Amino acid sequence: MTCNEARALLLDAQRGRLPAEEREALRGHVAGCQACAHEEAADALLSEALEHRLPSYAAPLALKRRLAAAWPAAPVEEPARSRGWAWRRLLVPALAMAVLVLAALPLYYPGPDRGQVMATEAVNDHLRLLSSQHPLDIESGGMHQVKPWFEGRLDFAPVVRFLGDDDFPLRGGAIGYYLDRKAAVFVFHRRLHAITLLVFQADGLPWSRRGLETIGAVRAQVTASRGFNAIVWREGELGYALVSDVDAPELRQLVGRLAPTS
Amino acid sequence: MNGVYDLGMAGEPRAQVGALGREALAYADTLYNLARYLTRSPTDAEDLVQETYARALSAAHQFTPGTNLKAWLFRILRNTFLSQYRHERHNPTVGGLDTVAPAVPSAEPTQWLLGDVELDRLRKVVGEEIERALASLSEEARTVILLDLEGLTEVEVAQVVGCAVGTVKSRLARARATLREKLRDYAR
Repeated sequence: MTCNEARALLLDAQRGRLPAEEREALRGHVAGCQACAHEEAADALLSEALEHRLPSYAAPLALKRRLAAAWPAAPVEEPARSRGWAWRRLLVPALAMAVLVLAALPLYYPGPDRGQVMATEAVNDHLRLLSSQHPLDIESGGMHQVKPWFEGRLDFAPVVRFLGDDDFPLRGGAIGYYLDRKAAVFVFHRRLHAITLLVFQADGLPWSRRGLETIGAVRAQVTASRGFNAIVWREGELGYALVSDVDAPELRQLVGRLAPTS
Repeated sequence: MNGVYDLGMAGEPRAQVGALGREALAYADTLYNLARYLTRSPTDAEDLVQETYARALSAAHQFTPGTNLKAWLFRILRNTFLSQYRHERHNPTVGGLDTVAPAVPSAEPTQWLLGDVELDRLRKVVGEEIERALASLSEEARTVILLDLEGLTEVEVAQVVGCAVGTVKSRLARARATLREKLRDYAR
């Protein structure tokens, strides 16, 4: 392998896109070539700088509201054409039906969407964090530094199994609120995007039992709200809410790492 | 609309357009971030994103569910930028990256490339400097770097910018090499 060939493969190798054989050939070349080893190191540092230090700009909330308002959320009924007095023939049965429906409504109406309440709060907390001047009370030196920081600051011990990795580095933690209670807030990153994990005591919250999705060993509510994806789940006495503007599949990946394996 | 949205096709009922909208709104931050780096102006970025969503809405029936919505939106945004903004705004680099000769950085190690100075510099570079260096690149270079950063594959980037996958690969290599040079210059 020549230096030119090796350097053309460095980024693919960094992105994990090389077949094993080519990766090994590249490793062999780089191990014996000082110039290419330097290139590899510089390329990796450039990626690190771009992924973690390049400022990322979130869309202003006003813009998000305008976008949401402009895009129709549901099919719009075509306006009915006037057909003279023909509608009167339908009036009496329609009114009768309306009375029946209204009378029966309390029997069937499930109440506000419980999952949506939980997701909305998670999105609100995420936005509060993003707009905060100092979102993190403790900058990450790893989960082993962040988790002990919560001792004495919460009346429960947040259980977080995932320590962060290259895909989802842990940035730090903070104390926050989730609905009516204190929450441990962990901030992970995915490329340029912040991901907020809230851990809180689960009892007494409006947990949804409908429309749950199995992710790893947990049953979770996956919701999109105001341009954010939120995944909320319960593990025993603790509740977890993960929210970000990253794709839902990527957020599911993180849940898979946070959730118990069996 | 110059036929730029044909990543997908097939007519879809109106209800699916609403569902598509909900999914599309999840990319507002990502699109705005790219728009900020393309336009280099918060106001222009907002206008660009808004126009992107308006065009996406009017072309929603052309999107095939199950295909890459993010890449489709990026493509609309970039084409909108090229058609509406590029000629009105100052573009720092004359000519595209494709006019630059080498496909990969030269194998001949220059002094700065071999020294530890560059590595030290890259370790210490701050966000503002990276942003400044990125802003000084051509639109093509900025776009491929940012799309790569967003996790798009080379195939997806090729769909967005409308060129061959091999071209994306060489553009990205050149763009990153140029960015490193700019950062090296700041260190002097």
